Amino acid sequence: MRYLLISFCFSILGCASYPDKNNFVKREVPDLVLKNTYFSDKEQDYVYKANIDVFNKHFGGIFIVKKITDNNHRVVFTTEMGNKIFDFSFIDENFKVNYILEDLNKKILINILKKDFKVLTEESPVFFNAYSFDKDTVFETEMYNKKHYYYTINNQIYKIIRSGKGKEKVVFTFKDTSSFMADVIKIEHKNLKFTINLKSI
Amino acid sequence: MPKIVYFIIFIATALSAQTKMSIAEANALKAKVKTHAIETKTISSDFTQYKHLDFLSSDIVTTGKLAFKTPNMVKWEYVKPFQYSVVFKNERLYINDEGNKSNIDIGASEQFKKLNDLIVSSVKGDMFDESEFVINYYKKQTNSEVHFIPKNKKLEKYIKAFYITFNPKGDVVEVKMIEPSNDYTKIVFSNKILNSSLPDEVFAH
Repeated sequence: MRYLLISFCFSILGCASYPDKNNFVKREVPDLVLKNTYFSDKEQDYVYKANIDVFNKHFGGIFIVKKITDNNHRVVFTTEMGNKIFDFSFIDENFKVNYILEDLNKKILINILKKDFKVLTEESPVFFNAYSFDKDTVFETEMYNKKHYYYTINNQIYKIIRSGKGKEKVVFTFKDTSSFMADVIKIEHKNLKFTINLKSI
Repeated sequence: MPKIVYFIIFIATALSAQTKMSIAEANALKAKVKTHAIETKTISSDFTQYKHLDFLSSDIVTTGKLAFKTPNMVKWEYVKPFQYSVVFKNERLYINDEGNKSNIDIGASEQFKKLNDLIVSSVKGDMFDESEFVINYYKKQTNSEVHFIPKNKKLEKYIKAFYITFNPKGDVVEVKMIEPSNDYTKIVFSNKILNSSLPDEVFAH
């Protein structure tokens, strides 16, 4: 009976939402406005040295983001020697593959990249909740039907979590940040052996 | 518009324009480059790479060093703004990405093999293979510029054309690789030293 009770408790806990599991305290914020401004300056060429680890293989390259107009971001990855690997456009709510190397032209991979880069470039997500967690304020939104939690200190985003079944699925961290740029960015997939490290150059 | 403006535009265009070489001139250049390539046993040079993407405000500039030793050892070493080197040697590609070392078997991949051949031949300039490329020869002030347009369908998907600029000695001073989208990578060589002794350790991984 006791085991049944314990396993019952675990299953309740297992289904708990990400905010519940992490003891977030709901906050009443009058207007839930938070902007992701790390790729929002049209004047700036965002150029990063990228290191990608996927299934124990290591790749390097140059990762480039440019805000062309409002709601239009170009995201390009090339090798160090300049050969283009992929070239995507995010225009309004649409996503377009301008180019991808034939060997990488796989729907499943493109989907993963699309979701990750959408998080980087989306400037004004619609937030429906805010929570307190230690000294942070955490904002909750949904992107491609997945809950995303934006961790902020003084309205500056330093981490974004994509959750699934109440667990961390993907962790985006932003370091050495200024108003319009994060010099160091890490995208870590918890359920795949897939990590992207970016360092501005 | 005043006539003088038209005249200035005309002169400026005429000066910057490249003129097509005659067959005799093209053959002379080919012969010179081939002899020069045969005589070249080692190359060490600095380079500046400009990655041009049309939508960017400025080109991405990286600089580094190139080393070449016959028959086919090549090392591209980027020094700024990051450290990255790639060595082509014994049918393998050895990569050192800021201390992260890996290697790829080129022999296993037709694409890499082709890339390797292209890199070796473009470093020396000896790419005059008419079965592989449609080749056009131009004069550009004292230099020569040769356009290589791939015939191979697979290569065509990645590269629309190579432009190689030779100085009057027949030495490669600039390589431009143009993608089908017209974005390009331009590599400009400087401080080039030919046939100095380059120990094999330079190409060690």
